[in-house]
Amino acid sequence: MNQETAMSKLRLRNVAKHFIAPRTGQLTTAVTDVNLDIETGEFVCIVGPSGCGKSTVLNLIAGLDTPTSGTIEANGAPIVAPGADRGVMFQDYALMPWMSVHDNIGFGLNYGTPGEGLTREQREKRIRHFVDLVRLNGSEKKYPHQLSGGMRQRVALARLLANGPDILLMDEPLGALDSQTRLILQVELLRIWGETAPREQRKTAIFITHDIEEAVFLGDRVVVMSTHPGRVKAIIPVDLPRPRSEHIRADPRFGQLSDEIWDLIRDEAYRAIDGTEAPAGPKATAVEKVE
Amino acid sequence: MTMNVTNHRVPEQGVSRAAGVDDPASSQRSEPDAAPALPTATKPGAIRRIVSTRAFIAVRSFAAFLALWYLLAAWVGNPIQLPSPLRVAAALISLGADGELFDHALISTTRLAISLVVAVLLAVPLGFFMGLSPKANAYLDPVVELLRPISGIAWIPLGLFIFGVGDVLPVFIMVYVAFFPLLLNTIAGVRHVDGKLVNAARTMGVGRRAMLRHVIVPAALPTVMVGFRLAFAGAWAAIIAAELIGSPSGLGFAIEWYRQLLMTPKVYGFIVVIGIVGYLCDLALRALQRWLTPWAEGMELA
Repeated sequence: MNQETAMSKLRLRNVAKHFIAPRTGQLTTAVTDVNLDIETGEFVCIVGPSGCGKSTVLNLIAGLDTPTSGTIEANGAPIVAPGADRGVMFQDYALMPWMSVHDNIGFGLNYGTPGEGLTREQREKRIRHFVDLVRLNGSEKKYPHQLSGGMRQRVALARLLANGPDILLMDEPLGALDSQTRLILQVELLRIWGETAPREQRKTAIFITHDIEEAVFLGDRVVVMSTHPGRVKAIIPVDLPRPRSEHIRADPRFGQLSDEIWDLIRDEAYRAIDGTEAPAGPKATAVEKVE
Repeated sequence: MTMNVTNHRVPEQGVSRAAGVDDPASSQRSEPDAAPALPTATKPGAIRRIVSTRAFIAVRSFAAFLALWYLLAAWVGNPIQLPSPLRVAAALISLGADGELFDHALISTTRLAISLVVAVLLAVPLGFFMGLSPKANAYLDPVVELLRPISGIAWIPLGLFIFGVGDVLPVFIMVYVAFFPLLLNTIAGVRHVDGKLVNAARTMGVGRRAMLRHVIVPAALPTVMVGFRLAFAGAWAAIIAAELIGSPSGLGFAIEWYRQLLMTPKVYGFIVVIGIVGYLCDLALRALQRWLTPWAEGMELA
């Protein structure tokens, strides 16, 4: 156990975050008692109903926010500020609207620490490499407002990867896309993450989503969170083989895992809708199928 | 996405679609009610599009305005008070022919340009400073709020006393007038920079200087440009007042000069020129805005 935690890429210990409402002064607990160990090359998905503090956890790891109590360590060192070693992909992409695709992808390389010590040619080469990787050739000169949601998402992904981060933090990056684009980009994301490469060569990824099937499809483990206050309810290992294709959804094990996670969430999901309890009776498999 | 853009840019298309021209199902369903819509629907699309363009609408409204003016002038019957548009047009032509019109217009627009440059150099850096530093804002904001409601025109008598009659007074008044919208919009632009963009830059290890130059400045630029257009509008209104009293040249001076000579058509001629030059400058500024901040089109409406 000790040996294992010593190897952890990311370690969260008893992390809690409280917010104080500016006017009322009311204290709200966004998350509490979060303990999480994430290994190098692991793909961890976090699911949970809205308001469970998924994004808070991600912001804490990114260093955009500091925990009220508890510790967060990356590679054994405490996280105190944002850094390019932990790349973030934001929910609405956060692309610079005044920059072309090319310049957006090169933003960190040109103006941030990832480009330090690189010549102009080296940076250009790297930008071109990632333009190719996310298949945006021919769109380099376009601006974000001229792109479809799927293309913007690719730009954000290329920007994230071009900075060469050690850890990928993704906050519902596919949330705004239609379901078909989403399925395609899920496969693509796994390809880019390095699914076919040996585990040590893969990036470490944390992926927030509200879509259970997406979490099962992508993740090595799925962290299920619950609300009031935000807590880790369960951690489900996903024992599906890699590399995964779209067809893995037809695997009975895929359904079992999704169902298991849905059962962990459903009560709160129902309460979140209208405050009513989930219908009693057998497992809500019917609801699951519809979803 | 592309669909959305086209719909947004060419509203006429959306209208024709909504009228059920291309949609047999909807026109069948609403046949009894469709009668009033039919004449427009049978009109050739090209003519309808031209008739409904903004330019054509402007021409029509302008024609109505001139007709009203003509009738009013005929009713008043005193060309010293209200000459007819035809007399004003004749005065304009003669002013244009001897170059006087362009001389005065050029002097006024040069003063305007100088004032705007000075105002930008003063207000924009100060706006960034106040927008970025809450402390600076706390100290400076009361002074700004005290001075802001004072009309630029209130300073004209004092300016006359200090600067005398000449170029400096109108420039001073215009800088004063242009300063506040530029300052306040710059502060607002800096304060309302999307926090997500700043956070994104932070997670890419962007330092303070690069953050200012490559995130804050471009993100605030559209709002600054809105302030610039407001500054221009205020300055252009104020220059006439300043030149009426405190200048030996310029459009405002020319108005006062011809008023004293009771040459009313020329007075109206210069007033028309003020409107036209202002309109052309605003068009130029809009073009500048589109060129500088192409990503922020339609932002000023928000």
